[in-house]
Amino acid sequence: MDPLTLGSLVALATIGVLFSGISVAAGLLVVSAGFILIFDGASSLSLMPEVFFGKLDNFALLSIPMFIIMGAAISSTRAGADLYEALERWLTRIPGGLVVSNLGACALFSAMSGSSPATCAAIGKMGIPEMRKRGYPDAVAAGSIAAGGTLGILIPPSVTMIVYGIATETSIGRLFLAGVVPGILLVALFMLWSLYSTWKSGNAQVLQAGNYSWRERIEILPRVLPFLAIIVGVLYAMYGGIATPSETAAVGALLCLLIAMVIYSMWSPRAIWTVLRDSTKESVMILFIIGAAGVFSYMLSSLFITQSIAAWIGDLEVNRWVLMAMINLFLLVTGFFLPPVAVILMAAPILLPIITTAGFDPIWFAVVLTINMEIGLISPPVGLNLYVINGIAPDIKLKTILMGSLPYVACMVVAIVLLCLFPGLALWLPDLVMGDAP
Amino acid sequence: MSGPSPATSSAPHGGNIVLRAIGLLSQIAGVVSALLIVASVAVTCQMIFIRFVLNGSTIWQTEGVTYMMIAATMLGLPYVQFLRGHVNVDLLPLMLPPGARRVLAFVVMACTLGIAGLMLWHGYHFWHEAWDWGETSNSPWNPKLWVPYLALPLGFGLYALQIAADFYAMSREIEEPFGLAPDARLTPEGAE
Amino acid sequence: AELRVSHQWSEGDVRHKVAQMVADEVAAADVDLDIRIFPSESLFKAREQYKPLSRGQVDMIVFPLSYAGGLRNAYNLTLMPGLVKNHDHAARLNESEFMAEIEAILNEDNIMTLVPGYLAGGFAGTEECITKPEDVAGKQMRAAGKAFEQMLAGAGASIASMSSAELYNAMQTGVLDAANTSSSSFVSYRIYEQVACFTPAGDYALWFMYQPLLMNKSTFDGLNEEQQTALMEAAEKATAFYLEEAKKEDGEARDTFAENGVEIAEMTEEEFDAWRQIAQETAYQAFLDGSEDGQKLLDMALSVE
Ligand code: NA
Ligand code: NA
Repeated sequence: MDPLTLGSLVALATIGVLFSGISVAAGLLVVSAGFILIFDGASSLSLMPEVFFGKLDNFALLSIPMFIIMGAAISSTRAGADLYEALERWLTRIPGGLVVSNLGACALFSAMSGSSPATCAAIGKMGIPEMRKRGYPDAVAAGSIAAGGTLGILIPPSVTMIVYGIATETSIGRLFLAGVVPGILLVALFMLWSLYSTWKSGNAQVLQAGNYSWRERIEILPRVLPFLAIIVGVLYAMYGGIATPSETAAVGALLCLLIAMVIYSMWSPRAIWTVLRDSTKESVMILFIIGAAGVFSYMLSSLFITQSIAAWIGDLEVNRWVLMAMINLFLLVTGFFLPPVAVILMAAPILLPIITTAGFDPIWFAVVLTINMEIGLISPPVGLNLYVINGIAPDIKLKTILMGSLPYVACMVVAIVLLCLFPGLALWLPDLVMGDAP
Repeated sequence: MSGPSPATSSAPHGGNIVLRAIGLLSQIAGVVSALLIVASVAVTCQMIFIRFVLNGSTIWQTEGVTYMMIAATMLGLPYVQFLRGHVNVDLLPLMLPPGARRVLAFVVMACTLGIAGLMLWHGYHFWHEAWDWGETSNSPWNPKLWVPYLALPLGFGLYALQIAADFYAMSREIEEPFGLAPDARLTPEGAE
Repeated sequence: AELRVSHQWSEGDVRHKVAQMVADEVAAADVDLDIRIFPSESLFKAREQYKPLSRGQVDMIVFPLSYAGGLRNAYNLTLMPGLVKNHDHAARLNESEFMAEIEAILNEDNIMTLVPGYLAGGFAGTEECITKPEDVAGKQMRAAGKAFEQMLAGAGASIASMSSAELYNAMQTGVLDAANTSSSSFVSYRIYEQVACFTPAGDYALWFMYQPLLMNKSTFDGLNEEQQTALMEAAEKATAFYLEEAKKEDGEARDTFAENGVEIAEMTEEEFDAWRQIAQETAYQAFLDGSEDGQKLLDMALSVE
C-alpha cells in the first residue's frame, strides 16, 4: 500500500481508538500493535516492549518527575498564596490590580513548576475566591487563572519543552531560555486584556480594591524569598556549570521539598505522601504516554509513513508561511483533544524535518508549538486547566470558565503571530546566553 | 468531558475481597514507584556532589537513575490505573446512551487488557533473553540487563491485573462504565 | 525485494554515505532489489539494533560493533585503546585472522559483514591539551566507549557519564574538562566552539572504532545469485570508499578545529606507549576478565603488523 494512504488509515484508526475513551497510552499501543501485526507481521510484535523500554531508557526523562515534584511540593504549601498576596499588596492601585497580580503570580510560579495544572491549582486556590469576593466577574476570575496557568509549560522549567528536546534532540537548556521572553510577552498581553476588560466593565467595586500601607507592603516581602531562592538556585545550577539541565531538575526537586518541609513546616507524613502521590500519578501518566508514543512512532517509521508525509509536504511547494499556518492549525486541532506530551511525541518526528527544510528554527518552533499546546489546555474537550478550575470553584459553570478563557486564547494567537513576525523574541535570549546555535 | 479528574478517586471494590487485594497490590506498587522517584532525586544530587564538590568519578549514577525511573514508571502503571489517573478522551462515551456506553466500555477494557497482556508476554521474553544470555549494558558500570528489564513484565503484569479487576467490577456493576455518572452528557452543563 | 537499513547518523555522515552507496550501486545493477535507509535512529535506537538484526526484524545495520559488547565480549576488542595504530593498519586488521574470528561469532548470531570499516577519533580539552596520561589527572572527562573510560580512570581522570548530545553543553558550562570521541562527532557537535585544544588522530592515535555495515545472513542467503553478486560488488566499492573517507575525516576535523582557532596538539610515540601501558592494566585486563578465550583473540589482534 502507498505509505500516504496507509498514513491516512493510521490517522483514522488513531482518532477512532482515542475517542473511544481508552487511555491515551494504551490506545497508542493498540493502534501500533494492529498496524505492526498487519503490515510487518506477528514476529515484529516482539519488538514492542523493546522499543518501549528503549524510549524510556533516557536519563533526560528524569527531569519530568523532578519538575513535577517542584510544582507539587510548592503548591501544597501556602507559598502560592504568599506570592499572590505580595503582588496584590503592591499592585492594588492599578485598576484591575487583583487580576494583574494573579497573572503575575502565575508567571512567577511557572518559573518553578514544569506543568500547567499545578500552576493553575497553586494560584487559583487563593486567587479565584478572592477575585470573586471583590466583585470580579466569574468569567474574568476563572479565565485569567486558567490562562495564567498555561504559562507553566512556556516559562522554564517546562515538561513539554523537555519532551520536545528529547524527541527532536535539541538542547533543553536552549529551549528553556527560548520560552522566557515569549512567556513575559504573553503575561503582558494577558494583563493588558485583563485591565481593558475590567476598565470596560466599569464596576466601581472592582476599581476600588483594598488599600495597603507601605508597612504591610514591606512586611510581606520576606515571604517571597523562598521563591527567589529556588529560582536562583535552579538557574545557577543549570547555567553555572554545576549540572546538566536534566540533573538540575533533581536539585530543584530537592530544594522545593526541603523548603516546603523546613520553611512551610510540611512535616506530616500524610502531607508529604500527598505531594509524592500526586507527582507520581502525573509523572507515570506522562511517562507511559512517552513509552507508548515511542512504539507508535516506531510503527509510523517502519511503515515509512513519517518519511513519506515529510517528503510529500516538502514537495507541495507552498509558501513557507502557508505551511506554518497549516501546521499551526493542525497543532491547534490535535491540542484540543490530546494532552501536550502526546501531541509533541507524535507530531515532532513528522514535523521537524518539514520545519527545518522550510527554513524555520527548531527552537523557535518549539515555542510556537508550546503556545498551541497552551491553547489546548484551556479548550474543550481535554482542557486540563479547565478541570482544575472546575475543581477549585465547582459552582462556576464550565461554560463560564470557557467564555472567560476565550479572550486569552486570542492573546495567545496574537503571540504566535508576533513570534512569526519577530522570531528574535524566542531566539534572542538563548543566543545571548549560550552563543549561536550549534 | 475528560482528563484525569482533579479530585482523587480510586478503584471501588464493593466489598469483594479479591478486588480489594488487587487494589492493595497496586497501591504497594505505587508506594514503591514513589520511593524510586525520591531515590532518584537523592542519587542525582549525590552524583552532582561527587562530581562538582569532590571532583570524583560518577560511574553508575546516570544509568542507575535511568533504570530506577523505568522501574518507577512500570510499577506506577497499576497504581495510576487504580487512581484512575491515565488520561483519556471520553468524547464518544459521553455521546452514547447508557446501554451502548456499557458495551463500548467492555470493548475498551478488553482492548486495554489485551495490549497489557501482549506487552507482558513479549516483555517476559525480552527479559528472559537478557537473563539467558547474561547480557550486560556494556557501560563501565556494566550491570546485568535482566534486572532493569524485569520491570517490563512485572509492571505490565500488575497493570493487567488491575485492569482485570476493574473489568470484573464493571461487569458486576460495582463501578459505572468509564466511571461516568449514568446521566453524564457531552454538554458543558452536563459535566458539572 | 526490499531491504531495510538502520543506522544512527544523519544523512551527511560518512556512514550514511556508505549505506547510500551500497543502495545506489545495487539499484544501478537492476536486480529487483530495493534498499531503503532509516537514518538518525528513525527505526531503532543506536544501541538496540543488534538483536533485531540477528532476528531478521531489520535487514542491515551500520553499527559500532562494540555496542553489542554486553552480548558478546569479543566485540569489545573492536574499540580497544591502542589496538589499531592508523587507518592502513586498520585495513590490514580487517583482512586478518582476528577479524575472521569476529566474523565467525557474528555468523553464530545469523549476521554477516558486508562493509568493514574503522573510524578514528581524538581528544579535546576545554583548557589544556590532552596528549599523555598525566594530562587527564583530576579532569572530569567523558569518553566514547567502556574501554576508554577504564583507561582514562586508570590515568587518574574522573569519569562522568552522559549522552554525546549533552557534550556541547557540558563543555560549555564546565561540567566537563575534556572529552574523547570520534572525529566526526567532534565536528558534528561543534565541540570546536568550546575547547582550547584538540588532539586529532595522527600518526599515533588511540581511538579507533569498528563500525561495519552488517547484514542478516538468512536474508542474504534468501536472495538470488544475481542479487547476492550485486550486493557483494556494491559492498566492495563501498569498502574502498569507506577507508578513503575515514582517512579524510581526521584531516577535516583537524582543519575545522584549526580554522576555529583551536590549538592542535600531536601525540608522540612515547605518549602513545604510555597510554597503551595503562590500557593494558585497565581496559585489556577488564576485557580478559570477561571471557575465557579472550587472551587468544587479543593475541591474534596484537599480532597484526
Ligand atoms: Na514552568
Ligand atoms: Na483541549
